[in-house]
Amino acid sequence: MQILLYILKRILQTIPLLIIVSLISFFIIRLSPVDPLAELRLNPSVSKETLQKETERLGLDKPIIVQYGKWAKSFVKGDLGVTSNGEQVSTKLKERIPNTLLLTVVVIFLSWVVGIPLGVLAAVNWKSSFDRILTVLTSVGMAIPSFFFAVLLLIFAVKTGWFPVGGLTSSNFMEMSFVQKILDITHHLILPVTVLFTLSLAGLQRQMRGNLLDVLDSDYVKFARAKGVSEGKVIFKHALRNAVNPLITLLGFEFAGLLSGAALTEYVFQYPGLGRLILEAVLRSDINLVMASLMMGAIMLVVGNLIADILLIITDPRIRQGVQA
Amino acid sequence: MYVILVLIFVLIFFKACIKSDVEDSIKPVLRSKDYLVENFYPYSQKNVTINGVDYLQSQAPIGKFGGTFISSTIGEGPKTFNPFNSKDNISSLMSDIMYDGLLTTDVVTGEPRPKLAKDFSVNGNEYIVHLRRGIKWSDGMPITADDVVFTWQNIILDGFGNTSIRDSIVIDGKLPTVQKIDDYTVKFVTPKPFAPFIRMLSSPIAPKHFFGPAVSRGKAYFEGFLSTNTDPEKFVTSGAFRLKEYVPAQRVVFERNPNYYVINKDDKKLPYLDKFIYLIVGDVNNQVLKFEGGELDEISLQGANVARFKEMEKHSDFKVYNLGPDTGTMYIAMNMNNRKDDKGKFYVNPKKQVWFQDKNFRQAVDYAIDRKNMVLNIANGLGEPLFTPETLNSIFLNKKITGHDKNIEKSKELLLKSGFNWDRAGHLIDRFGNHVEFDLYTNAGNTEREAIGVMVKQDLEDLGMKVNFKPIEFNSLVNKLMATMDWDMVIMGFTGSPLEPNGGKNVWLSDGTLHIFNQRLEKDLNSKRYPFENRLDYLYTQGALATSFEARKKFYDEYQEIVYDEKPLIYIYSPIRIAALRNKFKNIFPTSLGGLTHNIEEIYIEDEK
Repeated sequence: MQILLYILKRILQTIPLLIIVSLISFFIIRLSPVDPLAELRLNPSVSKETLQKETERLGLDKPIIVQYGKWAKSFVKGDLGVTSNGEQVSTKLKERIPNTLLLTVVVIFLSWVVGIPLGVLAAVNWKSSFDRILTVLTSVGMAIPSFFFAVLLLIFAVKTGWFPVGGLTSSNFMEMSFVQKILDITHHLILPVTVLFTLSLAGLQRQMRGNLLDVLDSDYVKFARAKGVSEGKVIFKHALRNAVNPLITLLGFEFAGLLSGAALTEYVFQYPGLGRLILEAVLRSDINLVMASLMMGAIMLVVGNLIADILLIITDPRIRQGVQA
Repeated sequence: MYVILVLIFVLIFFKACIKSDVEDSIKPVLRSKDYLVENFYPYSQKNVTINGVDYLQSQAPIGKFGGTFISSTIGEGPKTFNPFNSKDNISSLMSDIMYDGLLTTDVVTGEPRPKLAKDFSVNGNEYIVHLRRGIKWSDGMPITADDVVFTWQNIILDGFGNTSIRDSIVIDGKLPTVQKIDDYTVKFVTPKPFAPFIRMLSSPIAPKHFFGPAVSRGKAYFEGFLSTNTDPEKFVTSGAFRLKEYVPAQRVVFERNPNYYVINKDDKKLPYLDKFIYLIVGDVNNQVLKFEGGELDEISLQGANVARFKEMEKHSDFKVYNLGPDTGTMYIAMNMNNRKDDKGKFYVNPKKQVWFQDKNFRQAVDYAIDRKNMVLNIANGLGEPLFTPETLNSIFLNKKITGHDKNIEKSKELLLKSGFNWDRAGHLIDRFGNHVEFDLYTNAGNTEREAIGVMVKQDLEDLGMKVNFKPIEFNSLVNKLMATMDWDMVIMGFTGSPLEPNGGKNVWLSDGTLHIFNQRLEKDLNSKRYPFENRLDYLYTQGALATSFEARKKFYDEYQEIVYDEKPLIYIYSPIRIAALRNKFKNIFPTSLGGLTHNIEEIYIEDEK
């Protein structure tokens, strides 16, 4: 019951937050000197009448506050509006969301499945040569800029011919059998996943190692060891449970990054995801599309944090008591 | 120790990346025009009638059926597949593949040539078009005069979709009329003889049975009709290909239209290719990588890539083609605006107005610019100096204007004539003693224009002018040019048409929406014109009303002379278009007007052995 009340309170708190985020974003986009019709204006074959019609269609002839009101009203109703090309924003997003989710889910899954055990192993074998090699490798992983790494991998793909140069599917994808389709997508995913995985693995492994080292150094672990509890039990039963808490908060942020975290890599690899769509939308000041993606990002962040908090309540009795009190 | 291991790993990785690249430090040299392969299209297509069907017969060598051609577009991909709604190049390109017009343009001479029409005749302001009998839409329905009348009357003239065609054929406030004479004959009548109208007959023709229901549901519905979310199965087309699949941000796949009306010399229906694919790529770098990786069959090349590809050509499976001068133009404009804004403030500082409105000053700038040097260093020798608003491959180009080299002495002479002088430090001062200093803008991110800007700045500083070169963001620049008009000098470019100068009327008519060097806002439309502006207005209006090519050319020749003399826009150079294409494709006859794949239905793939 208390938990439900807590969730409700948190949801109510997000409403003013979202309003503020939307106001700021809307005004920044509209007040910037970016003219959505600039391309048309510089085209000698576009007539005055066409320009006038476009201005009216995009609502640019009205004051900003009226434009915002119109947008907010339809947003609350669940209508995201149309893009500057007249397509439904929701369909446009729906096309791209699965692709981005595919990429980020694979990356998050891989980095957790590999990163956590590696962190634990490194902490347990502290100062061994295994730990040191990992430390150097993760340093490289954290230091290398994802953009640069992605470009390097692309050149690698061109020169060796082992991997496709960007994209998600081959041009004859429609004629493939189901198994071939899966293989084709996997083939295309390897390089972008490598880039994102390297980055996220390095951070996660280090976090896990650090947390576990802290906990292993604490008094109750020493006590457990002194009591004669087996080493495996000490680590997995006592230490790990305590060390994993900060990672749950991290998971909340990863959730928020599900739809927006990979924009740069998507762009380099010409991956048909949300990041590329939004970047292009920002460049031509496509307000409805940009607003929809910004709001989506904000909501995902709020929800991610909420999930993390709830998970923490479940795993950590100390916080549970805090909520109840 | 571990650091060394990792370094070795990284080095091995880098080594793998530089396997077989070519030396790319080739110095640019001004190349002669025959440096790259250039063929001419020798095979005009003929009308033939078989079993009562009027086919168009290709005269090119007979090829093999099958295969795929993969090209690419840069950017976001098509925004609509409705040929009447397209406002951007990529959408237009896609609809051109799917929909043929009544006429097309001869890729060698630039003359109008029948396409969907069997033949046509022009008599003053009357245009009679005969259609082919027995040809069909991709769904098997016949193509008749009803479709043509529907397209013109109910879509174009009634103002559905993008109204640019309609806007360009309004003559004295009146529109042309269209009338069905019989099932295979249509008559168009323009209110006055109007030469550019014939080019408009190459606009796509829509199938009435398919577009009709959408048109009857009104303009708002039509805006979203055949959007990119439409099921490809539904498309009914007349062109060589029909839509098969559209994957957002990845590719557009076309398959051959089994009912296409062009046949080969064996009387088999073309096109040879089964599929025609456009990959949607985000930027030029990715496009080049994709071509090198073998994922693309065709690519257009720019700048340093040309030399690199030319080197690679020797041991690769592609050839580099010269497609002649680009249809775009690049120019320097000075703000000749002499009006005040709402607050009574001059758009252009009056001190600077004296310079920019002085013909001698503009000519001095023109003589100071070293075009050859720019072609050499910026376009890697692949371009030609440009002196006229018509592009070098335009059929209306005034060949008498030969231009000139850089001539600093001449510049100084012109400046002295207008009372300019130099102070002891060598700075240019005008006759009121003001130092000549102004801002030069261009859009940031366009590396070519930025490079030109740097060289123009240097050239003008030879004359003692102080130039503040400021590349700014494209949108902000357009706002400056079109709305606030607080700029001095700018480097910009326009797209042009090698066939129809009237397309530039928004630039050259003094009340045009793109009259960039002296932009008039709504409230200033009746302000005083410069004498040469009045003359250009006259020439442009008359040039469109005259009908014979020779009569029109006289008007357009004079307009080019005036622009060359008055220098409202100083043209810089015209880059040459270069493209690379894999050798396995045959029947390739690139021309300057048609590009590389104008005869896409005749192109076939030879077996690789």
